[in-house]
Amino acid sequence: MTDTNGFQVVKDPLMDEEVWQATTPTGLPVRVMPTQRFTEAAAMVTFRYGSTDLGFRSGANEHKSPEGVAHYLEHKLFEDEEIEAFQRFASRGAKVNAMTGFTRTSYHFTATDQVRENLTDLLGLVSRAHLTEENVEKERGIIAQEIRMYEDSVDYRLFFDFLGCLYREHPVRHPVGGTVESIAGITPAELQTCFDAFYRTGNAALAVAGPVDPHEILELASACGLAQGGAPESLWPEDLGAVESARIERDLQIPRRKVFLGFKDRSLVADPEARLRRQLTTEVLLDRLFSSSSEVRDDLRQRGLVDDSLGSTYMSDFNFGFSLIDCETEDPEATIDALLGVLRQPVEIDDEYLERVKRKLLGKYVRSLGVVRNLAFGQAVEALEGVAPFQALERLEALTAASVRARQEEHCADEALAVTVGNPA
Amino acid sequence: MLPCMGDAFAGFQRSEIAGIPVLWKRDTRFKTFRVALSAYRPLDERAAARSMLPSLLVQGTQSDPTRPALSRRMESLYGAAVIPSTGKIGEGHLLRFTVDSISPAHVPGDPDLLGDGLHLLADILARPVLQDGAFPEETFRREQTQAVHDVRAMFNDKMAWAGQQAITHGCAGEPFAIPEHGGEAAIAELDAAAPEAARRDFLTHGAMWAVAYGALPEEGLLDKIGGFLAELPDRTPEPVPAPVQPARRERRATVERVDVQQSKMVLLFRPSWVEDSKVWAARVLFANMLGGGPHARLFRVVREEMSLCYYAQAFIERYKGMMQVHVGLDEAMAEKVEAEVLRQIDELTAGRFDANELDVAKAGILSTLAAVDDSIAERMEFTSRQWVLGQDRGPAEQAALFASVQPEDVVAAAQDMWLDHAYLLAPEANGS
Repeated sequence: MTDTNGFQVVKDPLMDEEVWQATTPTGLPVRVMPTQRFTEAAAMVTFRYGSTDLGFRSGANEHKSPEGVAHYLEHKLFEDEEIEAFQRFASRGAKVNAMTGFTRTSYHFTATDQVRENLTDLLGLVSRAHLTEENVEKERGIIAQEIRMYEDSVDYRLFFDFLGCLYREHPVRHPVGGTVESIAGITPAELQTCFDAFYRTGNAALAVAGPVDPHEILELASACGLAQGGAPESLWPEDLGAVESARIERDLQIPRRKVFLGFKDRSLVADPEARLRRQLTTEVLLDRLFSSSSEVRDDLRQRGLVDDSLGSTYMSDFNFGFSLIDCETEDPEATIDALLGVLRQPVEIDDEYLERVKRKLLGKYVRSLGVVRNLAFGQAVEALEGVAPFQALERLEALTAASVRARQEEHCADEALAVTVGNPA
Repeated sequence: MLPCMGDAFAGFQRSEIAGIPVLWKRDTRFKTFRVALSAYRPLDERAAARSMLPSLLVQGTQSDPTRPALSRRMESLYGAAVIPSTGKIGEGHLLRFTVDSISPAHVPGDPDLLGDGLHLLADILARPVLQDGAFPEETFRREQTQAVHDVRAMFNDKMAWAGQQAITHGCAGEPFAIPEHGGEAAIAELDAAAPEAARRDFLTHGAMWAVAYGALPEEGLLDKIGGFLAELPDRTPEPVPAPVQPARRERRATVERVDVQQSKMVLLFRPSWVEDSKVWAARVLFANMLGGGPHARLFRVVREEMSLCYYAQAFIERYKGMMQVHVGLDEAMAEKVEAEVLRQIDELTAGRFDANELDVAKAGILSTLAAVDDSIAERMEFTSRQWVLGQDRGPAEQAALFASVQPEDVVAAAQDMWLDHAYLLAPEANGS
């Protein structure tokens, strides 16, 4: 690690990459990956404010928000008519967008030219909220259309049915955009309150990658008008006990039955690095059982209990974590029994598998470095979380069979299990 | 369809190996490389059999006879992937097999990952597990069932499903109406011999080319690719006919009702067929000004000013010769939206747009072209599509073509665009 004029430079000699890290005088963490490997530059500013932030403490008061407010705010900031963001980015050939997740809201662009102007505009649009009764009302109809579009997705509906089974109170159970009913109550004052609370330098991070000058990026970040300080204490129920409902079923206009099955984490990990290690062991557990190289999956497939639609994932953040295995099936009961059978049986992990999965994940990591957006997006999230750069391979090296087995025992508990079944109407 | 026979094409070097054009470019900016073998056949009744090949061929090879064994081999090569795919390019059916690997520079021992990857591809493509000249019956039946399920599951993505249904209805009687997967009924009627016949047809009669790009080795590249291509059978490639262009006719319409909350409208417009690539560049800019993103008229006027829809996009299907407009809306707004789309098209074709609209459309396309070289996958796709069109222009030359388009070119290129078909996917009852 070296110091370069206000930056700490962290190098990864094996991959020939480097990250320049700094914090602006206003408190905004900045990471830059300057590289001439790309013609295009990518930038992301991300905030620790997402759909699960439905309550926070403000002095002696507790503020409660309707579901969908973070997503609504993202829409409004992005479509600030005074900045005319879309037009200005488009006139420079830049591609700009935003996304709201469970715990973060992120704004980003890619551009082959005029990075300075684009970054100034990106930071400008997240630094102030221009909210009026008229423009908030106009956006309501557009967001309602977006919500309806998502609700037409079978997987989206079953996914949130599944989360509703896992969680009794935790706001991760609610759709990110809220519902048509919940957004009906969102006012300009509500949006302004949430903007003032969460859109702050101490609750954000900026990362830029591509053919850029780190010092220029830091200069622009330092000049941005984002309010200083940290965010208020976000209030959310831990909801680490038993699941709300072990099983629900829903009739849908679908050609085949669908099963969503998984476990919620019953403990949270505050340390981001430890959380990433937990993420890795869980993903390897699922890989061992359900990847295309798994004889466990192949056996289920040969017996007609699952087919190629079988998928698995693990999602986690500082305030929730859950695994999800999903599959289309003719016989949900047989499929559920078979999946639970392999999840409950201690997983077999030998040295050959461990070496192979490490190779596979090394290859995946190398591939991730080949996309400029991945570099910026990944560094923005790590900067927000306070995770040191280039730790992925160390994490991978530290992976052991025992840690995966221990993770299975901890995670795959009956009281943390929920099942959702979609039936053809 | 017959590019010039020089030693370069679209910014790649061009070699001819075993009668197959090989377009390649070594680029040390990357940490990975890809090699893709593509073949192009007419989109016809054999589409269903062809579309099953990607799934059947990864079920195992003579040396790795099961799917887990084959997957384990890929994982051992640092997650190297052989990515089989099929797709439509206009009225052509494309089959592609891509090897994706990281560079050996980033792993211990400097393994020959290119040679290993091509050997793996040869095993998959040329040495599948067969019984009596067909894929094993049990394997075939399982994958056939899977393919039918996959086709049915497309209904779950209403936007994509509406797009497919619009083509099915709007292009009925044309090869373009055949879905890339061939159709559920066609898949269900296949026997185990059909996919193997399709594999042989693909290898012997497909208009074939190979593209390689990325962190390729300095030495032995063409020898290794040549070794791989030598394992393919002797070939007699056949050309793919030009796409069918119907005569101008009255607007037709289809409404389908399903369990959906947000209606989807797809408008199919037909322009005249020309070979002049500058005309197509002008049409692409026209579609971009109309519905190429948040800067375009459909977004600014139809969504933002009139609040008639959630999304509205327009794009040119260059290989078929068609402009499509896709809109997500309440069914009650359908007539108004169609009328406004037509009004905006009339405005643009009358030349009632300012220079800034064209400049913004150009800026987006030029920026995209400037960044094509940043992505191995996108640069290879660009090169392949140029090959299919016979357009020997790299991204910079393609950008120069777009930059040269003037407002009068856009107006002229869009003059004979006519609305052929309006498709609406709408809720089952009570309108919206």
